[in-house]
Order: sequence, then structure tokens, then C-alpha cells
Amino acid sequence: MSSNTTENAKHSAEHPDGDGAGATDEDKKDDRMFECNICLDTARDAVVSMCGHLFCWPCLHQWLETRPNRQVCPVCKAAISKEKVIPLYGRGSTKQEDPREKVPPRPAGQRTEPEPGSTFPGFGFGGDNGFHMSFGIGAFPFGFFTSTFNFGDARPSPAPRGTQQHMEEQFLSKLFLWLAVLFIAWLILA
Amino acid sequence: MANIAAQRIRREFKEVIKSEEVAKCAIKVELLNDSYTELKGEITGPPDTAYEGGTFVLEIKVPETYPFNPPKVRFITKIWHPNISSVTGAICLDILKDQWAAAMTLRTVLLSLQALLSAAEPDDPQDAVVAKQFKENIEMFQMTARHWTNVYAGGPHVNKECDDKIKRLVDMGVEEHQARVALSSYNWDIERATEQLFS
Ligand SMILES: [Zn+2]
Ligand SMILES: [Zn+2]
Repeated sequence: MSSNTTENAKHSAEHPDGDGAGATDEDKKDDRMFECNICLDTARDAVVSMCGHLFCWPCLHQWLETRPNRQVCPVCKAAISKEKVIPLYGRGSTKQEDPREKVPPRPAGQRTEPEPGSTFPGFGFGGDNGFHMSFGIGAFPFGFFTSTFNFGDARPSPAPRGTQQHMEEQFLSKLFLWLAVLFIAWLILA
Repeated sequence: MANIAAQRIRREFKEVIKSEEVAKCAIKVELLNDSYTELKGEITGPPDTAYEGGTFVLEIKVPETYPFNPPKVRFITKIWHPNISSVTGAICLDILKDQWAAAMTLRTVLLSLQALLSAAEPDDPQDAVVAKQFKENIEMFQMTARHWTNVYAGGPHVNKECDDKIKRLVDMGVEEHQARVALSSYNWDIERATEQLFS
């Protein structure tokens, strides 16, 4: 009995008899077609998933970020990914830029794909590596320069200016300096 | 970003009020504060179940990260069900945990809870004692659930036998709810319940 009345109600809602109230309902229904399935507002920077569900890109992006290990459609739970959503460009939008570029993607260096099984150790290892590399490059020539310039200090007393020994020392320190520069250049180019 | 939660609850709230289920008095939501973070839910026991005729009140807490994370829901009304704690009202339901999806709403949560009352999952229990009774003695479970619905949720089925046994324990100085829990847990065996209460 009760299901019958519900059916009738639905039927009459789908076919409004043309009066003002019916038309407004129909309009509202049309508006709701373009609501984001997450914030329930009209979708801004709209994207659509392969399963056909509409979202604001910022909303969908946050959902994907919330559950990085379980990327499913918030509506039908089909598998989805950032790469497989389609941006929608309406006539009203002036700039046809891909909304996916608006939310900054995570920095490339930190986006190493997790190895199956363990997410965090892989990430941490990659980060450490980068740190050691830059530290090595920064610190090494500094030590080199220091030892070059301190070359004379190791001796009891520097040779007086103009003597043969002084010339030799100047030459040696310049040589070391050039070697250091070449070494850095090699490090950078290699 | 924090007020996306409040904005969404505001929208959902309007939607739930207008929904078919509210018109049929099957579900109800009420705001408890202006910041849209605490709500009171209500579901009626589904027909043809031990919960029929009862009204069950739920506590709904909306996290700041809603709808990216599920609302926190528990039963305020005491209920005898394998997936709901008879002590705390905590609920074991996948969509309130890892199966949550951002497109779900308060309405779908309440309807899912109503569906849980129709179809318990004793293999994924929240209350081990209730689940054991459900699996080993379904008639005993039905009777107990119906009695709890009558006492705590306003259900229509008065069970004189249960009431009498509870009264006997109350006369011995046991608190009424405690007596009901003990009897329910021991399949209404008054001797075993007494033994447990006075040991
Ligand atoms: Zn949105
Ligand atoms: Zn979908």
C-alpha cells in the first residue's frame, strides 16, 4: 500500500502538470545535477571521474590526499586516480586551464612512489639521501679552500717577500686554488 | 577549509528535513549547537525486527575534517545488538570507519544504521556477549532485544516474564539496569545471573 503511494508521488514529481510550482521544482533539479558530490555546492573547477561522478577539483584532491592508500570514487567507490579525471570547461569559463594544475602538486622529490608494503621507510630514505648529497657538495670545497689558504701557517715562519721561496709558495697556493676550482667544476658537471 | 564541514552539514540538514524518510518519521536529525558540530539523530526500529516500534537516539559528532572523514556516531538509547555495545553504545559499522566515502551524508549514515538493525553481522561484533547469544540462541536473542526495545526505546512488547525476573533481583538490592544486563547475558537464567552479581 505505502509503496504504491510513493510510486505515485514520484511519478507526479517527474511530470509536473505545467503550473509555476512544478516548473521551479524542475529547475532546482537541473541545478542539483551540477553540484559537487563532496561539498554539495555548484562544482567549481569541475572535474569528472571515469565513473561519471562530478566534483570540484579542490574537493576531490583533498579526498585523494586524505586516503592515499585507498583511492576510490566518493560516490560509487570505483577505483580513481588524479590522472584519470577529466576537467570540464563550460562556456562561461574564460581561461581554459586544467583545474588540476591549480592545486599545486606535491613537490616532485617527495613524491617517490611508496614501495609495496612499506610506505614510510621508502620516503624517509629518499629524503636522507638528498640531504647527504647537498651537504657533501657544500662542505667539501670549503674544507679544501681552508686548507689551501692555511698552507703557509703550518710552517714556523713565512718566507720573506720577494725570495725564491716566497714565489714558490705563491705558485703552490695558486695551483691548489686552481685544482680546487677544477674539482668543483668537475663535481658540478659530472 | 575548516568551515566546509559546517557548510556541508547546513546543506545536509536542510536536505534531511525535506527527505521522504523524515516525512515517514523513519529518521530525524536535530542540531545541538550553532557551530554544526554536534547533532542528535533518531531512527525508528525497522518493521519485522525485534526493534520494531522503538525510537533510538544517536549522538552525532562532526569532525573538522568532515566530509573527508566520517562523523562519530554512537547510540544513546540502550540497545541489544551484536554490532552495538550494550554498555557504551559504540557502533561497529564499516562505513563509519574505513569504508567511509566523502559523498555519504547524515541521511545515508542514519539509513545504514537502520539497515544494521535489520541485518546484524555477528561475525564482526562490537558486543561479544550479544553476538554469542545471536549465534547460539537466536530466539533468546530476539526476546532479549525486544525486551530492551520495550524498556529503553518505547517499543510496544512488554515481556512479563523478563520484568518479573528483574524485579526479583531488584528486590535483592540489585540496580535495575545491572540486573537486566546480568539476566540478558546469562539467557535469563536467574540463578546464574545472581551468582555473577553476588560473586
Ligand atoms: Zn566541491
Ligand atoms: Zn563514481
